[in-house]
Amino acid sequence: MLTALWNNLDYAAPMMLFLIGLYAVIAKDNLIKKFMGLNIMETAVFAFIMALGVVDGGSAPIIDHGAHAPFTNPIPQALILTGIVVALSTTALALSLIIRIYEQCGTIEGNELRELG
Amino acid sequence: MVSWPHWLVTIIIVPLVGAVLTPVVGRGRPKVIPIWALGIMTATSLAALMLIIRVAQEGPFSYLVGGWARPYGIELHFDEFSASVGIICLVGWLALLFSYHYVAETIPARRVPYFYTLVLLNLTGMIGFVVTGDLFNLFVFLEILSLSAYALVAVSGEHIAEMAAFKYLVMGAVSSIVVLLSIGLLYSVTGSLNMADIASRLAGVEQRLPVMLALAGLAMSFMVKAALFPLHIWLPDAHSIAPSPVSAILSGLVVKVGVFGLLRVYQIFYGAGTYDLTGLNTALVWLGAISIVMGAFFAIFQEDIKMMLAYSTISNIGYIVMGLGLASQYSLIGATVHIFNHALIKGTLFLAAGAIIHKTGYRTLTDLRGVGKAMPVTCMAVSIGAISIVGIPPTAGFLCKWYIALGAFQAGKPAFGIALIFGALFIFIYYIRMVNSFYFQKPTHPEILEVGEAPLSMLIPILVLATLCLVMGILGRIPISFIEPAVIRMLGPFGG
Repeated sequence: MLTALWNNLDYAAPMMLFLIGLYAVIAKDNLIKKFMGLNIMETAVFAFIMALGVVDGGSAPIIDHGAHAPFTNPIPQALILTGIVVALSTTALALSLIIRIYEQCGTIEGNELRELG
Repeated sequence: MVSWPHWLVTIIIVPLVGAVLTPVVGRGRPKVIPIWALGIMTATSLAALMLIIRVAQEGPFSYLVGGWARPYGIELHFDEFSASVGIICLVGWLALLFSYHYVAETIPARRVPYFYTLVLLNLTGMIGFVVTGDLFNLFVFLEILSLSAYALVAVSGEHIAEMAAFKYLVMGAVSSIVVLLSIGLLYSVTGSLNMADIASRLAGVEQRLPVMLALAGLAMSFMVKAALFPLHIWLPDAHSIAPSPVSAILSGLVVKVGVFGLLRVYQIFYGAGTYDLTGLNTALVWLGAISIVMGAFFAIFQEDIKMMLAYSTISNIGYIVMGLGLASQYSLIGATVHIFNHALIKGTLFLAAGAIIHKTGYRTLTDLRGVGKAMPVTCMAVSIGAISIVGIPPTAGFLCKWYIALGAFQAGKPAFGIALIFGALFIFIYYIRMVNSFYFQKPTHPEILEVGEAPLSMLIPILVLATLCLVMGILGRIPISFIEPAVIRMLGPFGG
């Protein structure tokens, strides 16, 4: 079991990060911490998909004089570039919402917000 | 003109570019903005019309963006299910028309251009979502529409709007990440992102665990987007707080994206052919049935009319998901047609409720007693919407519920057919409550009788949608015979 995990560390680590992030989203009351959990989840998924494209000893897939096979898979990298943009805009929107919530309610602690109704 | 191949990419580019340009076009000319947005949507609707005519004539077709063949390029694929662009354009257009006066009077002037940008982006996201044939592209459009939806919930500036938007954002963002993770898992075992390609490669995959994880992840996250019962907690606040035209779009269209995602997942896995989906089907049928009953149950105790309509959406999503899960030919036809009909009905109800709230300033049943005499046309539309959503013939709601019930008998699960009919009874109770207080009770606030009808820009969309609720009941054969070949093709050897 442990050896299997160690051999697949590049997949196991993102999964653990993902679960840590999920825990933070569910269990934390502070809205910023909740959102940091969400960012951890995002990063974990990005790392997982990046790991899919890695080839041992692969070089960057740019065709010029020094190019030699094997190449790493460029598709996951392109996907994650888009994914990061999406994550960035989600973060920007969430933070601005949090600022508005703070301005209106004077707190960003989930339990206190629930008491305010 | 119909066979011009580029309509399929036009339908995405026009609203996307239009959305981004809205603040620029409207700079210093605030009166132009609504007309510009309506013009953009008109052009998009034209493209949608061409695409629907083409798919009816020659069946599904594809468009390779930039000419790159699959699996390298992005493929746009238009099949009978993608004809949902029609309803997206229709409800979107009418909601924009409704916004003409509504937004000018309820949203601060400096935010108005961004409101239209967000609505157009949201519609672009949905259109892209239903026409794309590429899984990653699907994720990107999902994010475009989700992000704009979160922002649109907050735009009303009401007391708890930001909180509702944040709750929606957290649940939505988690489900989006799980979609991305599942797409990554599918990519890891098939090496492709094209849906048709994945379907053909999945059949030969030996590692079943990642595929099953991906299936579970996709199903779960689309259930969040569709607000199926235990995952619905974001919906009531978000849909009732949002400005009314936005509520109509969110409730009529955006939650359907989740259902549509499930439909696409089913297409992939039915296409692969070698996967046993009984477990997922059973889960969907049960969750659907629970959603119908619980949605109706919560709705009965609501005082706020928009809150009531929001819970009613949960019930109706239950119907659609149950139809998907029953996986028989009739139930799938019923479910797909209900996607379309529910958008019409809920559009009518939310826009009419919006007009009533806008004119009277009240939003609870007690406060709104007697409004039927003050706003007869709007309240007639509410009544039509109410009888359609309960499913009384000959309205739009009857036909799909009838087909889903037939599907339950066809699939050999008659108990669910009976659950469905009881659900309709529940729904009947709270709509009767609404109609009763509008027409037959003594007004709590006598001044409500002095309120006139809403302006024409609000009345026209309400009346068009209400008329369509009746017309689609009578002409119900058309959508059913349109979608039938696609359902038979999708079920393939599984067709029961």
